[in-house]
Amino acid sequence: MPIATMPGAAPRGASPARKRARAGESRAALWIGRLVVLAGAFTMLVPFWFMFVFATHSNSEILSMPPPLWFGHSLGDNLRDLLERLPTFWWNLLWSLWVGVATTALNLFFCSLAGHAFALLDFAGKERLYAAIMLTMLLPGFIFMVPTALTMSWLGWTNEHRSLIVPGACGALGIFLMRQYIESAIPRDLVEAARLDGCSEFAIWWRVVLPLLGPALGTLALITFIGSWNNFIGPLVVLRDMDRYTLPLALRSLQGSGQTPWGALCAGAAIAVLPLLVLFAFTSRRLIAGLTAGAVKH
Amino acid sequence: MRPRILPLLLAGLAALAPPTHAARTTLTVAAFPDLDRSAKIAIESWAVTHPDVQVKLTTRAYADHHTAMTTAIATGANLPDVMAVDMDYLGKFAQASGLEDLDGPPYDAQAIAPLLSHFTLGPATGAGRRLRALPADIGPGALFYRADLLTRAGIAESDLTHDWDSYLAAGRKLKAATGVYLLASAIDLKDIVIRAGLADGQGIFFDASGKSQVESRRFVQAFTLARAARRAGIDAKIAAWSSEWSEGFRRDRVATQMMGSWLAGHLKNWIAPAQSGQWRSAPLPGGAAASWGGSYWAIPARAEHKALAWEFIKTLSLDRAQQLEAFKRLDAFPALIAAQQDDYLSQPIAYLGGQAARLQWRAASERVPALHVDRYDRVANDIVNAELDQVLEHDKPIAQALADARVAIDRRARRY
Amino acid sequence: MKRKPWIPARWAPYVFISPFFILFGAFGLFPLLFSIVLSFHQWDPVAGITGMHFVGLDNFAYALMRDDWLRKAMFNTLWIALVSGIPQHLVALPLAWFLNRAFGRWRNAVTGAYFLPFITSTVAISLVFSSLFSKDFGLVNAAFAALREVPVLGWLMPGQSIDWNQPGYTKWMISAVVFWRYVGWNTVLYMSAIQTIPGDLLEAAQIDGASARQRFLHIVLPLLKPMVFFAVTLSIIGNLQLFEEPFILTGGTGGIDQAGKTAAMHMYAVAFMDGDFGTASAIAWLLFLMISGATWINKRLLGARA
Repeated sequence: MPIATMPGAAPRGASPARKRARAGESRAALWIGRLVVLAGAFTMLVPFWFMFVFATHSNSEILSMPPPLWFGHSLGDNLRDLLERLPTFWWNLLWSLWVGVATTALNLFFCSLAGHAFALLDFAGKERLYAAIMLTMLLPGFIFMVPTALTMSWLGWTNEHRSLIVPGACGALGIFLMRQYIESAIPRDLVEAARLDGCSEFAIWWRVVLPLLGPALGTLALITFIGSWNNFIGPLVVLRDMDRYTLPLALRSLQGSGQTPWGALCAGAAIAVLPLLVLFAFTSRRLIAGLTAGAVKH
Repeated sequence: MRPRILPLLLAGLAALAPPTHAARTTLTVAAFPDLDRSAKIAIESWAVTHPDVQVKLTTRAYADHHTAMTTAIATGANLPDVMAVDMDYLGKFAQASGLEDLDGPPYDAQAIAPLLSHFTLGPATGAGRRLRALPADIGPGALFYRADLLTRAGIAESDLTHDWDSYLAAGRKLKAATGVYLLASAIDLKDIVIRAGLADGQGIFFDASGKSQVESRRFVQAFTLARAARRAGIDAKIAAWSSEWSEGFRRDRVATQMMGSWLAGHLKNWIAPAQSGQWRSAPLPGGAAASWGGSYWAIPARAEHKALAWEFIKTLSLDRAQQLEAFKRLDAFPALIAAQQDDYLSQPIAYLGGQAARLQWRAASERVPALHVDRYDRVANDIVNAELDQVLEHDKPIAQALADARVAIDRRARRY
Repeated sequence: MKRKPWIPARWAPYVFISPFFILFGAFGLFPLLFSIVLSFHQWDPVAGITGMHFVGLDNFAYALMRDDWLRKAMFNTLWIALVSGIPQHLVALPLAWFLNRAFGRWRNAVTGAYFLPFITSTVAISLVFSSLFSKDFGLVNAAFAALREVPVLGWLMPGQSIDWNQPGYTKWMISAVVFWRYVGWNTVLYMSAIQTIPGDLLEAAQIDGASARQRFLHIVLPLLKPMVFFAVTLSIIGNLQLFEEPFILTGGTGGIDQAGKTAAMHMYAVAFMDGDFGTASAIAWLLFLMISGATWINKRLLGARA
């Protein structure tokens, strides 16, 4: 919309002094805003902080009131306890990584293809098919536990990780995200130009669209990986051997009737969160890359 | 991400896959903490006696385990050979046909039934009056109390245990003299009274024919006592196992707890290790006898290695050495009567001031009736608790609450 | 780039979207049909597959008319969805905008702080939050007590320590945890959408003298509408299916007087504790209708298409 007609905008040719005055008042507001946001960030971190603190304390210390606020000395004990109760811990971590990476890679591949089709191509039944896909997102989850377990047993996939990776390889959520992003951020002229050049649709996707999908791919990678990482219902019904467990299931198995080894559990949870932190750091850099990609557009 | 990475990853991780086990027979056992530790003890002994068998133990969180087992029985997929079942879920599992009938050949459990505490077999007897699981441990109920706090208020143990009225009176006296709460929650009181005075074959919430019992005199008395305790201000309104609960003991805010005998172990290990020597164990007030929890082992009907599974279960439940070892290491009171006769029980327990409390627990276990277990016991328990909340928090009349409970239970439980 | 395409152009779209339908056909269709069929039967899973018997519409009738716990659970679910959902987005939108423009190099670190709750494991969360929300010793009540001293804010603070397990407060506790968990997630979504706004558009507006607030309200928000629609849809779906947070905060029980029981928790209890898969399936489909209705309303309000 034309900038000049925006309500409240300073009239063209406003004196520099006036503009500086407007800038000045917003600097104070800026700092107050920053403080508020930082206070909020601090509150967000509090439970997280406790998780790390608890990982270094013994059980009785954790369960005492008030709980400890600073690190203790039991980290070694807790780690030892964790590995003794859960000797397959590192395997569990690895399996979670494997399932997460595989699911994410497949999702990025399939969902961007599907999103490309819905966003840039016209074909018969397009909107109906899209609506059907979106509808599947609304189905409540774990009521499908039993039939899924049945399916996997028929396929002979019980106790195999592919029963976790394959069904979730192309999520409706990813298609939604990709379509929205491609529609709003990929310039049609580029696509048209490639088509006129005689590129196959697949080549257009690979060479033109995909490189511009940075932010969307980053976001989808985050969503998918975290969803896969935290999922425990699927593994619960499908995996039988503890050395094949994924991490959430393994950590949960420490919870017993009565006394749970909270110190060991928090130590395990703290380790479990590190790959996600790394992933976030990585993808957030890609989100910045998206900024420069957007500037190239025009 | 270039899709080319995918095959590389696949190859790489396939190479890292855990090595397959040697070609011995594998027995799969599914359990939950802390019962898995007694399974581990059995696995240790089996490494010597059955070197050709590899026992694979899978542990899941308590609720997860039962969810997974339900799904496994429903679908026939991922079934273990040996399955742990907690008392709370036993009714559901035993009533259906998903577990192997242990009365029939080749198990003939009837022959060994007299070897186990008699009240344990009732809950494991399912449809068609067939035994579906063997008990491994029990939790005979005891009243644990702080001798030092009670002495300070001039209360003797007999005041606590004589009958329910004297129990409440002691609570008032304790509160007045020291400000300490007698019990953590009035709901505990309800839980015990509804179990009191039952005979073999009777059920808590439903009688043997399935009729609802919640309007019986037992429940009225339970609710009345709970309300009296709340009104007298002698309960701390703390939920069991919460941080406030354990802290309540540590800070001398709560003086007694009625629970299974295994509570002594918890108190000693992590709840209040500093209070060694100050706690004692007494029989439940009013001559009540109840058991808290209890673990069972069963064989799924579609399991793979049933004969071997039966051997393993017999080790867990009937082997005296195994039962005693679990008792010593995990405070799991043995269900095997022979194990209950061991000298270990007459040894004094330092934490309880040198009291030979295990003998008391054994005596208690002999008086627990063999109750009838209904598959809707859990539902009924939830509903009764909800109604008790209404009585305690919102002054709902007891008769009304129990009548509403009955209607709700009938609606939920008697549909089919 | 003159290469004969190996997928005829006409078929390309269908090939591109086929993976979804193939996977759905293989892994989604059977469970879907199974649960529909199951909702017309009574089935205790422990009896094995052969234990099903047909009861027609009885499960639906029961769920709609006689199951008072379901009604309560639906109310709880909607309550928590609104109380935790609306603030999530009202806070995440301006937060994303502000983070984007006011933090420079620190943007990612601060965003990360808001995002961390989303990736924390629920097992650890249950422990930490039960500690934080403890009546006598929890930090939340301690914070309230401290804030009570502050002049203006103090009036808003409750007069005494709150027992968060009491029915009146359980939902507030759950909503606070859900808000904590997802506000960062929505912020990240909005931030990634803000990246797609052409920088020159915003620069031009700034040069023209538009204040930050005006730029936000008149440029950013309208351009963000598709992402808002997306994020709100996700929130609706997620909140109406809420299971984990209330489950762990109430220890699986749903709290005193079922105050913290959501529809999904009730469905789980009916399936695995009552042993009634048929009714649970019926409830699942009723929930599906509710979620569809809510998403449809959302589409009318915020949907990008004309």
